[in-house]
Amino acid sequence: MTAVSKENLLNAAVLHWMHDLAAQGIITTDHELNVAGWNQWMEAHTGKRASEVIGHNLLDLFPELTERRLDRQYKWALEGQVRVLSQALHSYLISMPAVSVEQGFAQMQQAGRISPLSHEGRVIGTLTIIEDVTERVAREAELQSQIEARSKLLASEKLARSEAERANRLKDEFLATISHELRNPLNAIMGWAHMMRLGKLTPANAERAVETIYRNAKSQAQLVADLLDVSRIISGKLRLDVRTIDLINIVNAAIDSIRPAADVKGIRLQTMLDPAAGPISGDADRLQQIVWNLLTNAVKFTPKGGKIQVKVQRIDSHVEIVVSDSGVGISKEFLPHVFDRFRQADASTTRIHGGLGLGLSIVHQLVDLHGGGASVHSDGEGKGATFTITLPFVGVISSQQEEAAEPAQEEVTPFDGLPSLRGLKVLVVDDEADTRELIREVLKECGSEVILSRSAAEALEAIEQHKPDILISDLGMPDEDGYSLISKIRALPAEQGGQIPAAALTAYARAEDRMRVLRSGFQFHLPKPVDSAELVTVVASLAGRAYQQS
Amino acid sequence: MKLTERQADALSELINIAFARTGAALSELTGHRVVLNPPEVAVYRTEELRGALAKFVPGDVASIHQVFAGPVAGDALLLLNYAGAVQLTDLLTEGHQQPSVFLDESAREVLTEVGNILLNACLGMFGNLLNVHVTFSVPRLHLETLDELLGSITTDKTEMHFALVIYTAFQIRDSSVKGFLVIVLSVASLDRLIQEVDVWEAQQGK
Repeated sequence: MTAVSKENLLNAAVLHWMHDLAAQGIITTDHELNVAGWNQWMEAHTGKRASEVIGHNLLDLFPELTERRLDRQYKWALEGQVRVLSQALHSYLISMPAVSVEQGFAQMQQAGRISPLSHEGRVIGTLTIIEDVTERVAREAELQSQIEARSKLLASEKLARSEAERANRLKDEFLATISHELRNPLNAIMGWAHMMRLGKLTPANAERAVETIYRNAKSQAQLVADLLDVSRIISGKLRLDVRTIDLINIVNAAIDSIRPAADVKGIRLQTMLDPAAGPISGDADRLQQIVWNLLTNAVKFTPKGGKIQVKVQRIDSHVEIVVSDSGVGISKEFLPHVFDRFRQADASTTRIHGGLGLGLSIVHQLVDLHGGGASVHSDGEGKGATFTITLPFVGVISSQQEEAAEPAQEEVTPFDGLPSLRGLKVLVVDDEADTRELIREVLKECGSEVILSRSAAEALEAIEQHKPDILISDLGMPDEDGYSLISKIRALPAEQGGQIPAAALTAYARAEDRMRVLRSGFQFHLPKPVDSAELVTVVASLAGRAYQQS
Repeated sequence: MKLTERQADALSELINIAFARTGAALSELTGHRVVLNPPEVAVYRTEELRGALAKFVPGDVASIHQVFAGPVAGDALLLLNYAGAVQLTDLLTEGHQQPSVFLDESAREVLTEVGNILLNACLGMFGNLLNVHVTFSVPRLHLETLDELLGSITTDKTEMHFALVIYTAFQIRDSSVKGFLVIVLSVASLDRLIQEVDVWEAQQGK
């Protein structure tokens, strides 16, 4: 093959490719920008046939090129420069409809290149190549939006993780606080108990020891009660015993129970109770707990000689309980977290005020359950705080208005103020020796005769043998529990003790436990740790109350 | 070969004219004010180039490479480090809500166009100065390490080559992206360029 024919062959191939085969638009012009070549791709996408454009000036055919200042690109090409035109900065070179509208573009998105055509060192024209990049751009946009969605997801996961970590940290702080709060009274109890065991205390010191042990045990019982309340609230197991009640009685009872503590600190308790405020619909025990928690909180955070004001008033369709104090106040930062669980403004180990930070959270939850609202206001640290509880008002006074419950936190009742149990024979069943002994001491102190049994089997024997007047039985015992014992007793004829008045003693303090206890044949439910005064009162009231099968 | 202070100043001034044109072109294209910092010029032997650039581009380099031919011939490159290249395209296109992490095809196209504008402006300016006609190859974008890049431009070992390294930075929308312009010339081409710079500088003084 000669050189000439080889060149001819190549030229033919290039022309064929350019015109028929290329998957790009190809335009050639002379040095005056008159169109010399217009391939099939251009025909297909512009709708202009080669015969219509060849010989015409490119800038006249497409005035848009000049409007969009792309004419300069041709000027530079004619000066010998190669120019690349990106889709991102130009969108397109020559306007053409998109091949498919699926990608969301009406215009075909193009990338272009304009090159000089040279011959013997002289520019004789231009070559324009146009590429359809619509699909690529759509794909890239899709990918980018996926990346953005992913990074948003990552960001939200990160947020969730840091929230979880924060909750975990709060839990850790809480556990640290709880062990501290539980151990503190325990230290006092164990320390004094140890000294009593050694028997080296003077009578005055022994009295002080007992007093301290009692006070600390009581405070620990309160911690446990709070924790149980929280756990019930969290698990949704807290049920309100709703009746129509007189709020003023309840508030008065709570004030009475807190007054000794306020007196010790020289805090003045001022009350403004509107008699028209009641009645409301609610759980008397829980409402008293709400007021008591608010008052305890106020006493705790009010310095000596301060003032606490309790106001109950009716406003339109609701009743407001307002407890304000002249105490340490609440910082603006902590204010939104006052009702959060496990939160105390000062969580440090050196803090002055003890407690678990549960009281106000319980208040909030209990008020919620009553369909009311709790809010707090403070002008800042050192400026006191005001807690406001709103409860829905019940318009009609029920004829069977319930009495307010007795104060949940009664003061220590001296033994000599208790009813006498003289002449009563009490059978105490418990597998724990300490509990048995404690109960025996308390009951003996009040004059009753006490028989002790370690198990259900022993108890049945004791009933047969001693014919006791009253039964106090633990529920959780190995081999045979208290439920089984009472059902066997109730199966006995009356003369063999089948109707003996009975109280169950248990650490299971939930409402459903109480129900089960009463259904199984006991008349009373005494939660552990047992309060001496409560025990004596229960035994006294059981005396002469033979079990009646309903 | 070393530039005198006056030569370096004159060359910087000339290149700054090309930078101003580039800035104007990019501002018009993007709708944002784009300014290129006044150039700082230095001459290195190609063997020294690696040491001169290594500190700036420790990882992958994005380069836009154009070969020019004619009485003055050589390689012209715009060099950006990879992160800088991503940032520059983001700033010029502002299409994404989140900063990109890689250069997609469209971003590469934009970079190629930016390099094309800048290199054409500078080489065109040199051509005018030397009164010679320079032809350009199609600009190519490369993503590679600095060593791979330098290996690709210093192929002709028969003649000593020098590199004119022009340091600048793109200023767009309160952000700054550093870049290097590297023009590799034969010793003869560089000689001729410096002579013309001297002449131009002398004319400016008149």
